[in-house]
Amino acid sequence: MKKKIVSVLLCMAMITTATVGCGKKESNDSAAGGETIKLKVWAAEEDQDLTKELISKFEEENKDQKFDITVGVESESTAKDTILVDPEAAADVFAFASDQITDLVNANVLQEVQDKDTVTNGNVEGSVEAATVDGTLYAYPFAADNGYFLYYDKNVVSDEDAKSWDSILADCEAAGKKAGMVFASGWYAAGFFYGAGFTTELNDDGSTTMDWNKTSSTGIKGTDVAQGMIDIAQNPAFLPITDGDSTNQIATGSLGAVVSGTWDSTAVQEAFGDGYAATVLPTFTCGGQQIQQGSAAGYKMMGVNANSKQVGWAMELAKYLTNEESQKTRFEKREIGPSNIKVSESDEVKNNIALAAVTAQNDKAGVVQMVGSNYWDPAKSFGEIMAQGNPDNEDLQSLLDNLVEAASQASN
Amino acid sequence: MNNVKKKKNPMTAFFEAIGRFIKEFGQAVKDGDSGVKASLLLMGAGYWKRGQKLKGVLVTLLEIAVILYNVFIGFPYIGKLGHLGTVQQEMIYNPTTMKNEVNNYDNSLLCLLFGVISLVFLIVAVALWMVNIRTTYKLQKRAEAGKHINTFKEDCRELLNDKFHFTLLSLPVLGIIIFNVLPLIVMICVAFTNYDQNHMPPAKLFTWVGLANFKSLFTTSMTVTFGYTFRRILVWTLIWAVFATVTTYVGGILLSLLINSKLTRFKKMWRTLFVTSIAVPQFVTLLLIRNFFASNGIVNTFLAHAGITGFLKHLGWISTNYVPFLTNPTWAKVTIIMINIWVGVPYLMLIATGVLMNIPEELKESARIDGANKFQIFKSITMPYMLFITGPYLVTQFTANINNFNVIYLLTQDVYTTTNQKLAASQGKEIDLLVTWLYRLTSEQYNYKMAAVIGICVFIVCAIITLFAFNFLIKGDKEDTFK
Amino acid sequence: MSKKKVMSTIAVHVLLAVLAFIWILPIIWLAVTSFSGYDGMNTSRFFPETWSLKNYTRILFHPDTVAQFPAWFKNTLIIAIFTCIISSCFVLMVSYAMSCMRFKGRKAMMNIAVMLQLFPGFLSMIAIYFILKSINLTNSHVGMIFVYSGAAGLGYLVAKGFFDTIPTSLREAAYLEGASEARTFFTIVLPLSKPIVVYTVISSFLVPWTDFVFAKIILNSGISSDWTVAIGLYNMLKKQLLPSYFSRFCAGGMLVAIPIGILFIIMQKFYVEGITGGSVKG
Repeated sequence: MKKKIVSVLLCMAMITTATVGCGKKESNDSAAGGETIKLKVWAAEEDQDLTKELISKFEEENKDQKFDITVGVESESTAKDTILVDPEAAADVFAFASDQITDLVNANVLQEVQDKDTVTNGNVEGSVEAATVDGTLYAYPFAADNGYFLYYDKNVVSDEDAKSWDSILADCEAAGKKAGMVFASGWYAAGFFYGAGFTTELNDDGSTTMDWNKTSSTGIKGTDVAQGMIDIAQNPAFLPITDGDSTNQIATGSLGAVVSGTWDSTAVQEAFGDGYAATVLPTFTCGGQQIQQGSAAGYKMMGVNANSKQVGWAMELAKYLTNEESQKTRFEKREIGPSNIKVSESDEVKNNIALAAVTAQNDKAGVVQMVGSNYWDPAKSFGEIMAQGNPDNEDLQSLLDNLVEAASQASN
Repeated sequence: MNNVKKKKNPMTAFFEAIGRFIKEFGQAVKDGDSGVKASLLLMGAGYWKRGQKLKGVLVTLLEIAVILYNVFIGFPYIGKLGHLGTVQQEMIYNPTTMKNEVNNYDNSLLCLLFGVISLVFLIVAVALWMVNIRTTYKLQKRAEAGKHINTFKEDCRELLNDKFHFTLLSLPVLGIIIFNVLPLIVMICVAFTNYDQNHMPPAKLFTWVGLANFKSLFTTSMTVTFGYTFRRILVWTLIWAVFATVTTYVGGILLSLLINSKLTRFKKMWRTLFVTSIAVPQFVTLLLIRNFFASNGIVNTFLAHAGITGFLKHLGWISTNYVPFLTNPTWAKVTIIMINIWVGVPYLMLIATGVLMNIPEELKESARIDGANKFQIFKSITMPYMLFITGPYLVTQFTANINNFNVIYLLTQDVYTTTNQKLAASQGKEIDLLVTWLYRLTSEQYNYKMAAVIGICVFIVCAIITLFAFNFLIKGDKEDTFK
Repeated sequence: MSKKKVMSTIAVHVLLAVLAFIWILPIIWLAVTSFSGYDGMNTSRFFPETWSLKNYTRILFHPDTVAQFPAWFKNTLIIAIFTCIISSCFVLMVSYAMSCMRFKGRKAMMNIAVMLQLFPGFLSMIAIYFILKSINLTNSHVGMIFVYSGAAGLGYLVAKGFFDTIPTSLREAAYLEGASEARTFFTIVLPLSKPIVVYTVISSFLVPWTDFVFAKIILNSGISSDWTVAIGLYNMLKKQLLPSYFSRFCAGGMLVAIPIGILFIIMQKFYVEGITGGSVKG
């Protein structure tokens, strides 16, 4: 008898759930928005003010339409993680780093770009290539500086010596400083292999094909590259940096040279003072030769959420936030390297030391890195073994074999 | 003898109860009069016959609502439970409306979620229907025996008296069902699907795969390393739980004895000082401590200046220029256990203090009169009493430590990289507990199916330990030794 | 004899002092860094080089997109108050029912409760998220309140243990005078249980302040002024933000620790009182 009371409550809860749930679905189909277009934009913490400024300009230019645009905080490197949990709750327009594009496309999160020509003609080829998956353009690039290069202190390392790892390390040791780089990361460590002619390829099932355990197209053995990395790591003047810790390490002032990206340019300028300089990555000793260290060229782009209720206007907004004017403003306010061809050819951009270095490095030896989700952890642990100088003296060939095998797992 | 009976009891009792229930239902249908039989269709009929009009109306309304829900929502979802959706999402952009047109696609997770909810709801509804019949039959029996039949008011009053426990328990139990039981059932089901990053709704569908995930947990190759990782992490989880529980327990007791000793002044002040360390939220203190022990952190700088780092390197204990407190597997394990002592001892000290203050003084007095010294008193009176009272607490602490996410995650998340390639292939680390591995699998790899499998394994491990420990504790009933 | 006693007393106090120092050390570091004039984390010195109050002023009066402490504090306070009310009611209701009343299925329910708590909590994160989403409560503080207090009834053990020590004779006397079970609960048992009620209230109040896992999943709009204190502070220690926000993190940590600390100490007092004073034995 009294159990009825329980059941009444249970039932009411269910009914409420059902009606509310049902009701929500209906209102989705009807012409939501009507007059006011509601959009949510996600941008990195550092870009909040800039993005708000650009949005108000966008609203100005579209005066005949009412907008309600909110800006939330989401770092470009973690955008994919937040979005994939619930794509329908994610922002309509968001910024992300190019290495996340395949996962986002697989989850049907990115809206195909309708106005291809504006994007393709306006931005540098590398960025457009990075925004294209299977021949379809999925995003609006706005930054071409998400790569890494070499910063060095002219007072410690001369321009000539900055061309090879051996001389950099020697100079740093002489000055009592260190040369730092992140090894334990699939993004940084890959640079050594790309430079030696090795490749990574993403397959349809999410697995990564790598040839690092064999011989590259230029005839270099994978084990030689690994040995080259170990030689650098075992040099007493080398400081292995934990991924993400570079700003901290630079601030300590104990570095004479560091491999990093434009995000650290302020910190490096402060630390190196008048000796501030940046250039392409050096060469490293590998199998007796000097090989140019490659890098994973990265781009930042804006994506439109395909689940958005206002996909059309979201695309307009994304296009605006990444057009020539906006990229120019972005560079002026935050020194972000533009992907727009015209802006990147301006004098100010060319004179920016860090941007010049990253562009040069991308042109010289940058590879657009396309890998599956099972690549990252094995690569990170491989890099860590290298960074520690292979303390257990494991056989390099088997280390590479294990790495390749682990990364070749299908995404699961 | 006693124990075997106890272990079997819950299971057999459960099935016996169900059997009895169905038998009573059958009897009610067979022997019931027209009112009871009418209640088979119209649930309120039985009550109207006995004059409980209001109740009859309420019950009938309920019946209508339940039937409506099932027809329109419940059954469609339950139907989809078999295949978890067949229509994949497709979108076409319509330039004129500036919107995407989406087909009527199936979302596998929502199918599973609402399917389970509806199934549970259906089962509950059927059970209630059967209870209703039984109740009306009981009413009929009471009427035949001439006993008083409650009015509605009297029924309500009973809710505050004999049946107060229903009133008390209804809302909390509802909350537990919605926020604990249902999600749990759904996630257990996920362990039998292929819900991972390649099969993520709303874009893609996932479906049942039976025991395939469990199989992959127990096979090992270079590409499928889950079995290897699982074994290693399970072993470390158990070792960690033992060390963490024992060290904090012993430490807490020792500390509380120290503070409670007759020689100590300002007892309250000392206690408060230690409690302050747990007053600050764990995620603040643990992140601080993580930075404390970083490779170029304060502790390392201090050790380097004091020459200890060089000494350790000379001994061959470390191979780097800093002490890898949180980055080397062995060092990290020791450091984490040490830091956990810092975290856990104040709690144990509080509890131990409470228990210590409760030991009847007469026992200790009589022992002292008999000539026992401090150690003997401690060994034969204090410790056994402590163990007896805190025994159950120890067991819960042990299982809680198996699931101790905060300490491991906050101390190692961003700083520890594994050098074991097999572990890395399944996103594991040497210092991971099963729960931290589970969390990383869900939040970084979206590998929900393997995470669910691991969750089930954690449950099985904890259940075995709890059952084992409680049986052991009940067997050794120390209460008699006190008398 | 007296000399030995003096030596032992000194030894005990020295030992205690050393231990207490070790335990408080991180807290001291937290406190001094919150007054540091340097934004990032100083790894070479314990005490900051420059002292300043600006971390506190910045975090309280100059919120930016990363540090929105006043908003976080307000959010967490609201969530905590409601969680505390609902949780405590649930816990006390369940404990009383399990302890003082006897009904069919009581033992079964207690066993099920034990079993349910053996599952790791994070497992059901994603399912709870979608349950909340279906009733439109994600990204809302109401949703958070439900998450924290929904299954609170499972934590009834401590309160039940206390209720077990209340002599049945008291309740039976009330029945004889004609009081219903409900009346007994409210007028006799509850007033006697003040220590344990306070303990329950405070411990459920503290839950939202320290959880960052569930909060992050549910409050996912990216609008940082919606966050709770736990998410906000945790976010400040992200790799790229740490160098500029570490000392502000410490200031925030101190501001949170003080009320929580005070509440915790009060709660501990009531807890001990409940455990020891609750045994009304002779």
